[in-house]
Amino acid sequence: MKTIEYLTTPGLREIFLPGVIAGLAIALFGGVLSVFVVMKRMAFIGQGISHAAFGGIGVAYVLGFGAAAAGGTGASVLGGQFLIVFLFCLLAALQVGMLTGGDPGRRGKRAQADTAIGIVLVASMAIGSLLLHIAEKRGRVSTVSWESLLFGSIVSVSEADAWACVIVGALILAILFAVRRPLTFWAFDESAAAAFGVNTRAMRVTLLVLLALATVTAMKLAGVVLATAMLVLPAAAAVQFSADARRVCVLSVVFALVGVALGMLLSFELDWPTGASIVLVLAGMFGVGWVKGRMWHRAAAR
Amino acid sequence: MMQEALKSSPASVAIRYSGVSFSYESGEAPALDRVSLDVRRGERLGILGPNGGGKSTLLKLTLGLLRGYSGTIEVEGLAPVEAAKRRLIGYVPQRVEAELAFPITARHAASMAATAGLGPFARSSGAEARVERALSVVGAASFADRPVGLLSGGQMQRVMIARALASDAKILLLDEPTVGIDPAGQKQFAELIQRLHDELALTTIVVSHDLRTVAATSDRVACLARTLHYHDSPEGLTPHVLAEVFRHDAAAIFGDLHVDAHRASECGHDHSHGHSHEHPRERGNGSHGTQSKSGGGGS
Repeated sequence: MKTIEYLTTPGLREIFLPGVIAGLAIALFGGVLSVFVVMKRMAFIGQGISHAAFGGIGVAYVLGFGAAAAGGTGASVLGGQFLIVFLFCLLAALQVGMLTGGDPGRRGKRAQADTAIGIVLVASMAIGSLLLHIAEKRGRVSTVSWESLLFGSIVSVSEADAWACVIVGALILAILFAVRRPLTFWAFDESAAAAFGVNTRAMRVTLLVLLALATVTAMKLAGVVLATAMLVLPAAAAVQFSADARRVCVLSVVFALVGVALGMLLSFELDWPTGASIVLVLAGMFGVGWVKGRMWHRAAAR
Repeated sequence: MMQEALKSSPASVAIRYSGVSFSYESGEAPALDRVSLDVRRGERLGILGPNGGGKSTLLKLTLGLLRGYSGTIEVEGLAPVEAAKRRLIGYVPQRVEAELAFPITARHAASMAATAGLGPFARSSGAEARVERALSVVGAASFADRPVGLLSGGQMQRVMIARALASDAKILLLDEPTVGIDPAGQKQFAELIQRLHDELALTTIVVSHDLRTVAATSDRVACLARTLHYHDSPEGLTPHVLAEVFRHDAAAIFGDLHVDAHRASECGHDHSHGHSHEHPRERGNGSHGTQSKSGGGGS
C-alpha cells in the first residue's frame, strides 16, 4: 500500500498529510453546503464563482502574492493570496447572486442571470490567464503551474493550507448550523419565507458568501475547475437516496468523505491526479444513485 | 362620506388599507389605485378580481414583499414588514411557487414557519407539537411523512395551511387556493375554511379570480380591478358589479349571465342602462380593455 507509506514515512508524510487533512475538511463542509447549492439550483453560480477565483489568482500573482503556490509557505503571502482571491469570488458571487435573486415580489431579471454567469466565467478566466502570463514575464513567479491551478494538486497543499481548510470549514459549518431553519425555509419557498418574516436577502447573501469562502478554500486541493464539484456532487448523489432533508444532509457528508478518501486512495495507489480522482469517484456515486433511483421509481410505478 | 361612516372601530379591524396606491415603475399606470378597505377580525373575506387586476400586488403589499406604496396598510396596527416579522399573517401561497423537487417531507414543510424564528440552539418541541396539531386539524396527518413531491394539489394545499396554522397566525391569507384542485377538493377546501373560521375564530382572506371559490369561502366580497369596486356580501354581487370588475372579460367568462360588459363599463354604477342593452354574445375586445376607467370613450 503506497497510501500507508505516504502517510507514515517521515519526509513523505509532511508532503501528503496536509492534503489529506484538507481534503477531509473540505468534504465535511462541502457535503453540508452542497445540500443548499443543489436545493437552490446554484450549481452554475458555483461554477461562475470558482472561475472568478482564477481572475483573483492572476491579480494575486501580479501583486507578488504567488510564491505560496510555487512551493513557498510564507503566511503573509498565503494570507494575501487567500484574501485577494476571496474578494474576487465574493464580488462575482454577490453580483451574479443578486441578479438571479432579487426581491421575491418584484419582476426579476432572472433571464439575464444565466448570460451574466457565462460572461463572468469566461472573462475571469481570460483576465486570470493574461495576468498570470504577465506575472511570469515580470519574474514575479518562476513558472506558473497551470495544471495545479486548474485541477489542483495534493502536494501543493501546505500545512498552513490544511489549517485554513479546517478553520474555514468549522466557520462554515457553524454559520450553517446557526441559520439552518430560516435558510431551509428560504430555499424551499422564498416568497412564503419572506411573508413569515425570514430575511430572504440576508439568506441569499449568507449562502453566496459561504459559497465563495468554500470555493477559495477548496481550490488549492481541487483547482479552479474541480472545486465546485465538491460543492455540488455530494448532495446531488444524496438526493437520489432519500427525500428527507436531514437524511440527505447526513448522506451528503458521508458521500463526500467516502469520495475524498476513496479518490485519494486511487490517486496514491495508481498515481492518478488527486482532484480528478476525487471528482470521478463522486460522479460515480451520483451515477449509481441515479440508476438506482430510476429502477426504484420504475418499481414504485408498477 | 358614506365609507368613512361605515368604518369599523380599530379594535375590531385585522387589516386596514387606507388610500393604498402602487405602481411598479414610476410613471406607469398604477397597479393599485387608492384602495381603502377594512378587514374585520374574524370575518371571512373574499377578494375577487380579474387577472392583472392588482390582486397579487395587494397580497404582496400586505405580506411586506413589496414596498414603496402610498397610503397606509396596517396589520393589527403594524406596518406589513413588521407584521411579517411577527408572523401575524399565515400566508398560503399557490402550490406552484414551492420547490417540489425538494427532498423534504410534508411534516418538515409544515414546520418551517413555526421554526423559522427559533434561535440556533432553541428547542423545537413546542413548535413540533403545534405542527402535529395543525396537521391533524387540516387532515394531513396521514400523509405527513410523504415527500412533498408526491403530494396531490389538495394535499399540498392542506400542508401549506397547516404551515400557516402552526405559526400561530390569526389571519389566514390564501392566494388562488383552488387553482389546480379538483371539484371534490374544492368542496373540501371550502368546508375546511368554514371549520377554521368556526373552531379557531380565524380571519380568513381568500384571493381569487374565481367567483365560485370566493362565494363558497366568504361572508363578504371585495371586488378589485385596480381600484376597489365593491365590498359587501356575495349575494349582493350582481352581474352588473361583476361586469364592472371584469370589464370586457366578463362577457367571455360570465356570458351565461347576460352581461353586457361594454355597456356596463360605460355606464358606471347605473343599473338601468346595464340591463337595457343586452348583448350576451359580445366578446371582450382587447383594445377597449386597455382604457382607463374614467376614459370611457370607446364607443
